[in-house]
Amino acid sequence: MKAPKQRPARMLVVVALLVCILLFGFSLCVGRYPLRLSALIARDPMTTRVFYTLRLPRTVLAATVGFALAVAGFVYQLVFRNPLAAPDIIGVSSGAGTGAAVAILFFGGGAVVTAVSAFTGGITAVLLALVIAGVGKKKQIATFVLSGIAVNALMQAALMALKLTADPEKQLASIEFWTMGSLASSTLQKLPWPLLLMGCGLAGIFLLYRPLLFLTLGDDEARMMGVPVERLRRVVLLLATLIVAAAVSVTGLITFIGLIAPHLARLLTGSSKKESCLLAGLLGSALLLAADCAARGLLGTEVPISILTSLLGAPFLVWLVCREERVP
Amino acid sequence: MKETLLKAQNFSVYRKGTCVVQDISFTLCPGEFTALLGLNGSGKSTLLSGVCGLLPATGSCTVNGEQIAGLKERQRAAKLAYLPQRSEMVAELPVLDVVLMGFHASLPILGAPGQAQRETAMQLLERVGMQDAAKCSFFALSEGQRQLVLLARALAQNTPFLLLDEPDSALDFNNRHRMLHLLKDLAQQEKKALLLTMHDANFALHYCDRLLLLQGGRLCGDLRTAENDGTLETALQQVYGDVELGRCGEQRILLKR
Repeated sequence: MKAPKQRPARMLVVVALLVCILLFGFSLCVGRYPLRLSALIARDPMTTRVFYTLRLPRTVLAATVGFALAVAGFVYQLVFRNPLAAPDIIGVSSGAGTGAAVAILFFGGGAVVTAVSAFTGGITAVLLALVIAGVGKKKQIATFVLSGIAVNALMQAALMALKLTADPEKQLASIEFWTMGSLASSTLQKLPWPLLLMGCGLAGIFLLYRPLLFLTLGDDEARMMGVPVERLRRVVLLLATLIVAAAVSVTGLITFIGLIAPHLARLLTGSSKKESCLLAGLLGSALLLAADCAARGLLGTEVPISILTSLLGAPFLVWLVCREERVP
Repeated sequence: MKETLLKAQNFSVYRKGTCVVQDISFTLCPGEFTALLGLNGSGKSTLLSGVCGLLPATGSCTVNGEQIAGLKERQRAAKLAYLPQRSEMVAELPVLDVVLMGFHASLPILGAPGQAQRETAMQLLERVGMQDAAKCSFFALSEGQRQLVLLARALAQNTPFLLLDEPDSALDFNNRHRMLHLLKDLAQQEKKALLLTMHDANFALHYCDRLLLLQGGRLCGDLRTAENDGTLETALQQVYGDVELGRCGEQRILLKR
C-alpha cells in the first residue's frame, strides 16, 4: 500500500513560530505612538513607558490568549467529537459574560474585579454543567453537550436579566463592550494570574495529550483499553475551561479563534497528533496578533477584536460546513 | 483438568432495562477458540459487552477468579482485550499510532510508547498484513483494512483472553481466512482464549474448537466442532432451522435446505 505524502508537522510548527515572532515584533510597533528601537535602547522615557505599560503587555496577552483559545478549541473539538465544538458548548463563555456583568453592575466594574468575576463565572458555569451531566445515568458525551446547552441558556437568561437592570448609559455599554472583546486594557499588573492559570491549563493538556486522544474513540472502546473515560473527560474539560476562563477574563469574549485555528492546523498537518495541537496554538497566536494589529491600526478608533475575528471566522465556518467528511 | 480462564455463571445481561441475555453459564479455557453463533438479535454482542463489564448484568462472570465488573479499567485491559466491529475514533491518526494505543494499559499513566513498543506494533501490523499502511491515515483505509488494524491494536494489549465482535464482517474472502488462521494460531500456539461472534457457521466449523449457540438470549448449545456430524447438525438446526451438514472432502459445510 502506498502511504500518502506525509506532511511535515514539525516543519510547519517551526514556520508558524517564525510567523508568530514576526507578528509579535510588528505588534510592538503598531499604535498611535510610533516606537523606535533606537529610542528604546537609548531609554527614552516616553518610549520606555509606552513599550512596558502598553505595547508589551498587550502583545504578550494577544500571543498567549490566541495560543490558549486555539489549544482549548482543539481539545473541545476532540473531546466532544465535534468539529464545530467551541467553549460555548459547555457554557464557559456565557458564564464568563455573566460574571463580568455582575462585576460591572455590583462591584464598580474595575479591570481586576471584572477579570476575577468573569473567571469565576466561566468556571462556575462549567462546574454546573459537569454536575448536571454527572446526575444522569448515562455519562456519554451527548449528556455533557445537553447539560452545557442547558447551562448556556441559563447563563444567557441571567445575562439578559442583568442587562435589563443596567444603567443604559454606562453599565450596559460596558457589558456590551466586554462581550465584544478587547486587548486595550492590558497592563503588566493584570498579566501574572491569567498567564499562570493559562500556563497550568496548557501544561496539563499537553501532559495528558496521549490519554486525551482515547476520548476520540467510542466510550466502551476506550474503557476496554484501560482508560477511565468519565474521569479523564472531566479533568480535560476542566483544564480546557481553566484556560478559556483565564483568557477571556482579561480580554472579554473573543470569538472564532478557538474554531478556526484547530481546523487550519489539522488541514495543514492532516492529523490530530500533539504537533498539530501545538501548531493550532501557534496559529491562534498569529491570528490574534494580526487581528489586534488590525484592531489598532485599521481605523482612527480601536475596533473591538471580536468584530475582526468574526469577519474572518464566519466565512471560514460556512466553508467548513460545506466541506465534506471532515473529522476532528 | 483444564485450567479455567473465564467462568460465567447464571449470567444475565441487560440493555436499556431489558434482559437480553438470560441465565447463561459457560467456562472458557486457555487455548480455546470459541465461536458464539446465533441469528440477528439473539444477544451475541450483548453477551460480549456483558462479559466485558460494559452493560449491567446479574450473576457472576470472572476472569482468573476475579469478577470482571469489579476490575478497574487498567486491570481489566490487562486481562481481556475487546475488538469492536468498527472503531468510533474521530481523531485523524496514522495506523501505527492507532496500534500503539493498544499498549496504553501496560504503560505508566503519562508514559509514551518507546522504541520497543513501536517495533512490536510494526510486527503486529506485519502479522495482520498491514505493515505497508503503517504511515497511512487510519481513515484512508477500507472498513476491512481497519478491522485488521484494530486486531493488531487488540493484540498489542497482549492479554490472555480476547473477545471479538464480528471481527471479520467487512473482510474479503482472503483476509477473512487470513484473520481466522491468525486467531487459530493465537489460541493454539500462545494459549490465548478467544471468544468471537460471527455469522458464517461454515467458517466457525472450519476454524474454531467450540461453538456456543445462542437463541433468544439463551444458550441452546455448547459443543465442540470435533463432535460427530449428526450431533452438530441437530444443534445447529436449533439455531438456523432447516439446515443440513454436508461434506466436501474433509471439510464440513452447512447448507440451507
